[in-house]
Amino acid sequence: MSRIKDLQKNLFGGTTSNARQFGMIFTLVAIVLIFQIWTNGLTLRSDNLIALFQQNSYILILAIGMLMVIVAGHIDLSVGSVAAFTGILVAKSMTEWDLPWPAAIVFGLAIGAVIGAWQGFWVAYVGVPAFIVTLAGMLLFRGGNQFIGNAQSIPVPEGFREIGSGFLPEFGPNTGYNNATLLLGLAAAVAVVWREIQARKTRRAMDADPVPMWISILRMAVMVGVIAFAALRFASGRVGTSFPISGIILVALVIAYSFYTRNTAGGRHIYAVGGNSRAAELSGVKLKRVNFFVMMNMSVLAALAGMIFVARSQASGPQDGNGWELDAIAAVFIGGAAVAGGIGTISGSIVGGLVMAVLNNGLQLQGVGTDKVQIIKGLVLLLAVAIDVYNKSQGRFSIIGSLMRPFRRDDSVPPASPPDAEREPAKAAVSG
Amino acid sequence: MRKFFGTSVVAVSAAAMLALAGCGSGRDGDSSSSGDAAKGFAANSLIGVALPAKTSENWVLAGDLFSNGLKEAGFQADVQYAGASTTVADQQAQITAMTTKGAKVIVIGATDAAQLATQVAAAHAAGAKVIAYDRLITNTPDLDYYVAFDNFKVGQLQGQALLDGMKAKKPNGPYNIELFSGSPDDNNAGVFFNGAMDVLKPEIDKGNVVVASGQKDVKQTAIQGWKAEGAQARMDQLLTSTYGSKELDGVLSPNDTLARAILTSVKGAGKPVPVVTGQDSEVESVKSIVKGEQYMTINKDTRNLVKETINMVKALQAGDKPQVNDTESYNNGSKVVDTYLLPPVAVTKANAAEAYANDPKLAPLTK
Amino acid sequence: MSDVPILLEMRSITKEFPGVKALSDVNLVVRAGEIHAICGENGAGKSTLMKVLSGVYPHGTYDGKIIYQGSESKFSDIRASENAGIVIIHQELALIPGMSIAENIFLGNEPRKRGAIDWKAANRMALDLMARVGLEEDPDTLIKDIGVGKQQLVEIAKAFAKDVKLLILDEPTAALNEADSRHLLDLLRGFRSRGITSIMISHKLNEIEAIADQITILRDGRTVETLDVKADGVDEDRIVRGMVGRELSSRFPDHTPKIGEVFFEVRNWNVRHPISADRQVCKNESFVVRRGEIVGFAGLMGAGRTELAMSVFGRSYGVYESGTIIKDGKEIVLKSVADAIDNGLAYVSEDRKALGLNLLDDIKTSTVAAKLSKISHHGVLNEVEEYQAAEAYRKELRTKAPTVDEGVSKLSGGNQQKVVLAKWMFSDPDLLILDEPTRGIDVGAKYEIYGIIQRLADQGKGVVVISSELPELIGLCDRIYTVFEGAITGEIARADANPETLMKQMTSTKKLATR
Repeated sequence: MSRIKDLQKNLFGGTTSNARQFGMIFTLVAIVLIFQIWTNGLTLRSDNLIALFQQNSYILILAIGMLMVIVAGHIDLSVGSVAAFTGILVAKSMTEWDLPWPAAIVFGLAIGAVIGAWQGFWVAYVGVPAFIVTLAGMLLFRGGNQFIGNAQSIPVPEGFREIGSGFLPEFGPNTGYNNATLLLGLAAAVAVVWREIQARKTRRAMDADPVPMWISILRMAVMVGVIAFAALRFASGRVGTSFPISGIILVALVIAYSFYTRNTAGGRHIYAVGGNSRAAELSGVKLKRVNFFVMMNMSVLAALAGMIFVARSQASGPQDGNGWELDAIAAVFIGGAAVAGGIGTISGSIVGGLVMAVLNNGLQLQGVGTDKVQIIKGLVLLLAVAIDVYNKSQGRFSIIGSLMRPFRRDDSVPPASPPDAEREPAKAAVSG
Repeated sequence: MRKFFGTSVVAVSAAAMLALAGCGSGRDGDSSSSGDAAKGFAANSLIGVALPAKTSENWVLAGDLFSNGLKEAGFQADVQYAGASTTVADQQAQITAMTTKGAKVIVIGATDAAQLATQVAAAHAAGAKVIAYDRLITNTPDLDYYVAFDNFKVGQLQGQALLDGMKAKKPNGPYNIELFSGSPDDNNAGVFFNGAMDVLKPEIDKGNVVVASGQKDVKQTAIQGWKAEGAQARMDQLLTSTYGSKELDGVLSPNDTLARAILTSVKGAGKPVPVVTGQDSEVESVKSIVKGEQYMTINKDTRNLVKETINMVKALQAGDKPQVNDTESYNNGSKVVDTYLLPPVAVTKANAAEAYANDPKLAPLTK
Repeated sequence: MSDVPILLEMRSITKEFPGVKALSDVNLVVRAGEIHAICGENGAGKSTLMKVLSGVYPHGTYDGKIIYQGSESKFSDIRASENAGIVIIHQELALIPGMSIAENIFLGNEPRKRGAIDWKAANRMALDLMARVGLEEDPDTLIKDIGVGKQQLVEIAKAFAKDVKLLILDEPTAALNEADSRHLLDLLRGFRSRGITSIMISHKLNEIEAIADQITILRDGRTVETLDVKADGVDEDRIVRGMVGRELSSRFPDHTPKIGEVFFEVRNWNVRHPISADRQVCKNESFVVRRGEIVGFAGLMGAGRTELAMSVFGRSYGVYESGTIIKDGKEIVLKSVADAIDNGLAYVSEDRKALGLNLLDDIKTSTVAAKLSKISHHGVLNEVEEYQAAEAYRKELRTKAPTVDEGVSKLSGGNQQKVVLAKWMFSDPDLLILDEPTRGIDVGAKYEIYGIIQRLADQGKGVVVISSELPELIGLCDRIYTVFEGAITGEIARADANPETLMKQMTSTKKLATR
C-alpha cells in the first residue's frame, strides 16, 4: 500500500462522507490562503479573525440545528423569523420589564423551546410536512416580531451584549497576549493529543489495522499547529479583545452536538429516521419523539442565535433574521448533507459555513459589492453540491485521490521499507 | 506507548513552534487607538463608505459621488452597499472589513440606525473617525460627526406644500387626506413625519383637514423598509375601505418612491389624482411633477450633501476640526453629536426649472 | 431447435465498473419464439447483462457486440432498445399508483389526436391489450386499487403497447402468489405459441424447469453453460449445480428439532385495517409457539399473514381491537415496537430494503440498530463493543463483506438478509418472526439462512416463518398454520404437510379439525 493511500485512508477517515468532508476542509484552507495572499495578509490578521467569528457564530449555531433537521429528513425555513421574534421579546423583557439579562437569556431559550414544541407538534404528531409548518412559522413569527416591536429597533443593556460582542477577560502576567485565549488553546491542543491516543486505543481494541504511527503524529502535528496558530492569532488582538465569547459558545455547542450525534443512541436515531423512517420505526425508534426533538431543538438554537445577533448589534431590529435560514441551509449542504436526509455531520456543516463566511469576508475585504458576493456564493453552493452528486454517480470520491492521480503512476511500486514508525515522518515529506 | 508519546511530543511542539514563528509577535493595535487624532492622516488613506441597499436611486447616486469625489481628493475609496435582504448583517460586516483594512474615516448611511454600535465602537477603537451620513446612528458614544439635511424642515416643507397644493385645486376645505411615513427603523422617518405634522396638526385640529381613514398614528402610517409595494398595498386598502364615495384630496408621502407607488394605486383604482408630496427629486418623480401628477418633491441635492461630507473628510485629514453648524439638537441616546445641517428646497412644477438648473440629469426634464 | 433463426446474439460482452468486472466475456444466444431463462446466483451478472441489452448502459460503455435481428445494434438508451422491440419488465414495477391502468399503459406513448391525448382511443386500445394478457378490469381503475399480480399484467400490457418482439422479465413471479404465478407462466406459454420471444430471470427453479426452452447459466460474471431443457433433460438439481458450481445434496440442512414447552401464545387476536375501519384484517386468530420450534404460516398473498405478524409486533400495523399475548405464562401488552423488543420479540420484515435496513448505514451500525442500549452506557455508545458485536455476527453468519464498515447497500440480497438477521439476533429475542426470509435470495444463501434459522431454534428460541413458497415451509417448519382472509384455517404437523393439503386450507374458510 502506498503511503499516499495510507494518508488518504487514515488522515481523515476512509469513508466517502469523511472524504467529502476532507474535500471541504481542503477547499476552506485553499480559500483562506488565496484571500490571505490577495488581501496582503488581512484575512488572517487577528482583528479580522475575531470579527469573522463574531459575524458568523450565529449562522454556524443555526447550521448545527439545521444539520440535525436535514439529517432527519426535514427542513426548517422559520429559523430567521424565530430568531427575530425571540430577539425582540428578549430585548423588550430587559428594557421594558426590567428583567436582569441572565434571566432574559433563559427567557429567550424558553421562548425558543415553546416555539419549537409548537412546530414539533405539527410535524411529529399531526404529520404536516416540516416545509409547510416552518413556512407558516416563517410568516407567523416574522409578523410576531413586527407586531411586538412595531417594526422598531429596541436596544439591549450592557451585560447582555457580552454574549454577542464580548471577550474573555484579561488577567495574569503581561505576556503580550490574551492569557485566557492562550489557556484555551493549550486545553484544545491537549484534548487533540488525548483524543488521538484514545482513538489508537479504540482501533487496537477493534483489532483493526492500526493507523500507521507516522500518520497519527502527522495528524496531531497538523491539528496542534492549527490550534497553536489560531490561539496566538486570537490572543494577539487589540488589548481587551480575545477569542470572542460568541465563538466560545459556538465551539461548546459544536463539541456537545458532535458528541450527541455521533456517540449517543439519541443521535443515531436521528440518522436512522432520516435514512429510512419505516425501518427505524420497526427497529424500535420512536419516530414521533425524534421528529419532535429535532424541530424543537432547532428553534431553541434559533432563539440562541437571535439573541447573539441582538447582543452583537446592541439592539433588536425588524430586519433581524432575514435570510438566515438560507445561509444555514447552504452551510449544511455545502458541508455534505444529503437533501433526502440520513447523511451529514456537524463538523461538515461548520466547515461548509466557514467556507461561505471566509468567502464573504475575503470578498468584502477586497471591496467586492454584495451583489457580486451573492452571485459568487450562489455559484459556490451549486458547484459544491454538483461535485458531490457527480462523484456519487461515479462511485467513489476522493479529492486527495484526484489530486494525487498524476503522481500515483510512478508510485505504483511502493518503497519496500518496513513500517517503522520512527523513520516514517521524514519519508512522508518525500512521498507525499 | 512511551515511544509514541515521545515522538508525538516532539512533533507537536515543533508544530507549535512553527505556528509561533509564523505568527509574528505580540498584540497589535495598542498604539493606533491612542494615536493623536488632531494630527490628521496621510493624504492617500483609505476612506470607507457603507451605504444601505440600492433601494432608491439616491443611494446609487451618492455612492457614485463618493467614489469619484474621494478619488479626486486623493483618497482611496471603498464604497459598499448592503445586500437586498440581509441588510443589517451585511452592513455590519462591511464596516468591520473597512476597519480591518485600516480606513481612516468611515462614512455610514445606516440601514438600521440602532444596530451598528458595536461596529462603530470597533472602528473608533482602531483609530477611525466615524461620520453618520443622512441617518443618525443611535446609542453609541463613538460616533464623531453627523451630516444631513434638516429633516424636520423637510417635513415642514412637505406639510406646507400639501396644504398649498390642495388650496390651489379647491379653494375651500375640508380636505380629505391620508398620511404615509417611512420605515420605522430609519431614524429620519419619524423626523419627517413630525415636521409635517407640525404644519398639518393645527389644520386637522381646526377640522379644515380630515384624515378620513382615521389612521394618524405613526405606527399605522409607517411603510417597512421604504418599500414601494408596501405603500401601494396600503393605499389600495385605504381606497377600498375609505374612499368608495369620498374624494381624496391629498396624500402626505415621505419620499418619491412611495409617492409614485401611491399614485399608481390611485390611478389603478380610477380615482382622480390627489395632491401627493415627495422627497429626493428622483428622475421619475420629476417627470411626474412636470406632467402634473405628483405635486411636489424636496430637492435635497445629494451632490451638496456628499460634497459637505467629503469636506469633513478633508478637514480630518489635515488635522483640522470639521465645520459643524449644530452642536445641540442631535442626541443619539449616548451623546450630542456634532452635526452639519443642509437646508432642503421644496420643488413644485412652478419652480422646477429653476431648482434643477445645475443638475445635469434633471435639468433637461424640466424644459 | 437449432434450425430456428437466431433473434438475438450477445457476443463476448464485458462490462467493468471501477474496480469490479461485472461481466467478462459473456455470450448469449436467443432464438426466435423461445422462452430463454437466465439463471445465476445474486451478483452473477444477470441484471447487468440485461441492462447492457436494454441500453441502460449505452453502447460504448461495454465491450462486445449485440446482434439483434441479424444486424449489430448500438443502443444509446432505453428508448432506442424499446423502439427496436426490446422491452424489459423490472422486478420493481415501474407503475404510477395514482394513475389508471390505461394511463399507465400509454405513459410516454399516449395516442394523440391533434396534439391532445385521445382518451377514447386509449381506452379502446387498452382494453384490447388487457385482453391479450388476460386482465379483466376497467381501464379506468387506479393501479393502487389492484393487486400485485394484476399490476404485473399491466406492465406486460404496457410492453405490448410498444410492439414488443423480445420481452425481458426480471423475477416476474417474485412478488406473486402461487395462483398469480401460474397465471403468468401460462401467459408466457401463450406468447410463445404466438411467436413472441421472452427472456426470463428467476430464482424459482421449478418455474424455470417447467417453462423454459433454453437456460443460460451465469456465475461470477461469466457464462457457465447454455442448456436445452428438453434435449439435455434438465432438472432443478442440474441447474443448481451449474449455478453454484457444486452439488447441493439437499435444499435444507439436516436438523433434528428440540421442541420444548409452549412459551408464546396469541389468543383471539382481532385487528382492523388502518384506513378502512370496517375491514377486519385479523379475525379472532390464535396460535402458539414452543421453545425450539419453527412454526410456519402459509397463505396466499394478501391473506393477512404479514398483518398478523406486524400487529403482534408492537401494533406496528393496523388498529388493535382485542386479543391477548401470553409469554412465559404471563400476559404482556405490547403497545409499541420498543415494548415488543423489550419483551424479546423480533420481526424480520418481508421487504428488506424498505423496512429492514437503512441503506445508508454500514454493517456495524445496522447490526446494533435494534438494541442500542446493549452497547451504550448512560446513553453513550461504545464503538468498540459495537464493532466487536458486528464482527462476531459477521463471522457467525458468514456475511460476505471485507469489514463491518462496508455499507449495506453494497451487499448482495443474501448478505443483506444476513445483516438483518444479525440485527435481530443481536436484540436477544425469545421469539423471531421471519417474514419471507428468503425472498429474492439465491440458492446457496438460502441454504445458509435455513441453517441459521435452525440454529436459532436449537438455542431454545421460538421461530415463526412466513413464506409464500410451500416447499420452503414444508422443508423447514415443524408445524404450519394456514391463513386465509385474515383467519387461521388450519394447523398441520410436519409429518402431514404436503403442498396439496396446505393449498386446500390456504384457499378455504372451512376450518379443519385440528388434531
